[in-house]
Amino acid sequence: MSAPSPQTREEVLEFLYREAELLDTGRLEDWLALLTDDVQYRMPVRLTRERTSPTDRSDQMQFFWDDRATLELRVRRLRTDFAWAEDPPSRTRHFVSNVRIAPGGGADELDVRAYVLVYRNRGDTAGYELISGERRDLLRRVAGGWRLARREVIIDQASLANQNLAIFV
Amino acid sequence: MAVSRTEQRGRVDSLLAQVHPEQGEIPAAIFSDPDVYRLEQDAIFSRCWLFVAHESEVPSPGDYVTRYMGEHPVIVTRDEHGKIQVLLNVCRHRGMRICRADLGNASHFRCPYHGFTYKNDGELIGIPFQKEIYGDDFDKSRFGLVKARSESYAGLIFATWNEQADSLRTYLGPMTWYLDLLAGRAEMEVVGPPMRHELAANWKLPSENFVGDAYHTLHTHASMAEIGLTPSAKWAKDGYQVSAGNGHGVMVGTPAAKFIFADELLPTFERHLRPEQFALLKSLANMPGTVFPNLSFLVSAITFKGRLISHTELFLWRPIAPDRIEECTWLLMERDAPQDWKDISRQAYILTFGTSGIFSQDDTENFTAITRNSRSTIAGRLSFLYEMGRGTTPIRGFAGPGTVYEGKYNEANARAYYRRWLDLMEAAG
Repeated sequence: MSAPSPQTREEVLEFLYREAELLDTGRLEDWLALLTDDVQYRMPVRLTRERTSPTDRSDQMQFFWDDRATLELRVRRLRTDFAWAEDPPSRTRHFVSNVRIAPGGGADELDVRAYVLVYRNRGDTAGYELISGERRDLLRRVAGGWRLARREVIIDQASLANQNLAIFV
Repeated sequence: MAVSRTEQRGRVDSLLAQVHPEQGEIPAAIFSDPDVYRLEQDAIFSRCWLFVAHESEVPSPGDYVTRYMGEHPVIVTRDEHGKIQVLLNVCRHRGMRICRADLGNASHFRCPYHGFTYKNDGELIGIPFQKEIYGDDFDKSRFGLVKARSESYAGLIFATWNEQADSLRTYLGPMTWYLDLLAGRAEMEVVGPPMRHELAANWKLPSENFVGDAYHTLHTHASMAEIGLTPSAKWAKDGYQVSAGNGHGVMVGTPAAKFIFADELLPTFERHLRPEQFALLKSLANMPGTVFPNLSFLVSAITFKGRLISHTELFLWRPIAPDRIEECTWLLMERDAPQDWKDISRQAYILTFGTSGIFSQDDTENFTAITRNSRSTIAGRLSFLYEMGRGTTPIRGFAGPGTVYEGKYNEANARAYYRRWLDLMEAAG
């Protein structure tokens, strides 16, 4: 197992920045095209536990527990005339940083960890919501480039400051 | 300019004088007025039974979860004798929060500030240098943690600060019949911890939505039919609206296209329920409701992964401020359901009714915008329209107790909810 080459690193950063652009410009069908058919998209509930506790995340309850079929359903719903939560749409900005890349499980796979900060503003209020977390991604190389095969978002709040999660992180 | 307490009470009284539940008139200002909110903390959240936890969250001695009763932080714990205790999470010495984790297991709680130590039944048992600094005859028993009265029904733990309150069973009244269907149809357990998030809404808006607003599903949730999760936009129209007394209400959606629970558990359901309850469960399509003041619940079923499957959850709308709540949502599951049924039911719940849920998303848009609008002095003077179904008369012969109306599009339950609210607010003078 060798460290990813500068070329690979460049490709991964390009993938993450491209993905952020698609999410922030509402091109959700194009975003779905970046996901593998077996994609897993999760966000465990985070807990306030004593330091000695083995984990501060729940594998039983998660804010997202999605696969390709449910992600497609979410996007199809947002395209109906009755998706009030995002129509008019929020203004969002996905900031992605602190990217670390390691070999993944398979030969054409990479474990990519990145910090993510999502800004979201709606309507005529000046207030905004933030989502802070770490993405734990599995990227897979296919013909045509990299695809997202798994994402686990470690969110940095036990009780979220978001009125809903009608956007993707 | 300081406003005296009498002036405040006068303002609230003149607002309350505009609440006419039976006429279907509810002034918008009650959804954001700070003085109304202040009075609610005393009139409602200090007197009613409040949901705090499900028994499966604290199965063993020492298990605890930290929760809120209204604005008050509490520890819900099972003591060393197996008894559930609900303790104010406030040290008697200087008011520090003695337990600062969401959950865990502890036989004692030690305050971080000065080290006062309490047993998990609330007894104060340790003060550093007690003899030296408080003297030989200091009586620790005077300074145990403040205990709320707690009782359970169908695994649902409620607590109250009101020592004079009726028993929980009396408080729930006819609602127990429907809570049996919800939480007593089998051995039930919560799945993982609750999802929690805050939103800029008044606590009464989601509570009344679940108590009696099936009508909103037609338009707010019209997207569900378009993507095939529900058969049509009016899927939540048929059934019964039931006012269960004390402001409680439930909507029984029926008939179902097919059985929405795990077939394998039919004998279990039959064993746990009375025959007339079991018969209703077999044709149940959905069942939202609210236990006054702020515990809502839902049995919902969608066509998902090629099958019609239900999920069951609890929603607590915890007041934080006149225009702010925390929504806390628990998934309830039959402990003995087949694993694949559990997995699909959980995924259906997360897709539709958790923080990311595609039903909940659109509800929060309504609740937050209404709360904001109600702060406008012009909009705040408006009387909202709660007249739907005023001409309808209750039916007889329904399997369950309560005042029963045929059809779920009705605002009878909302009127009964605000009647209870008004009675409590007026009584707290």
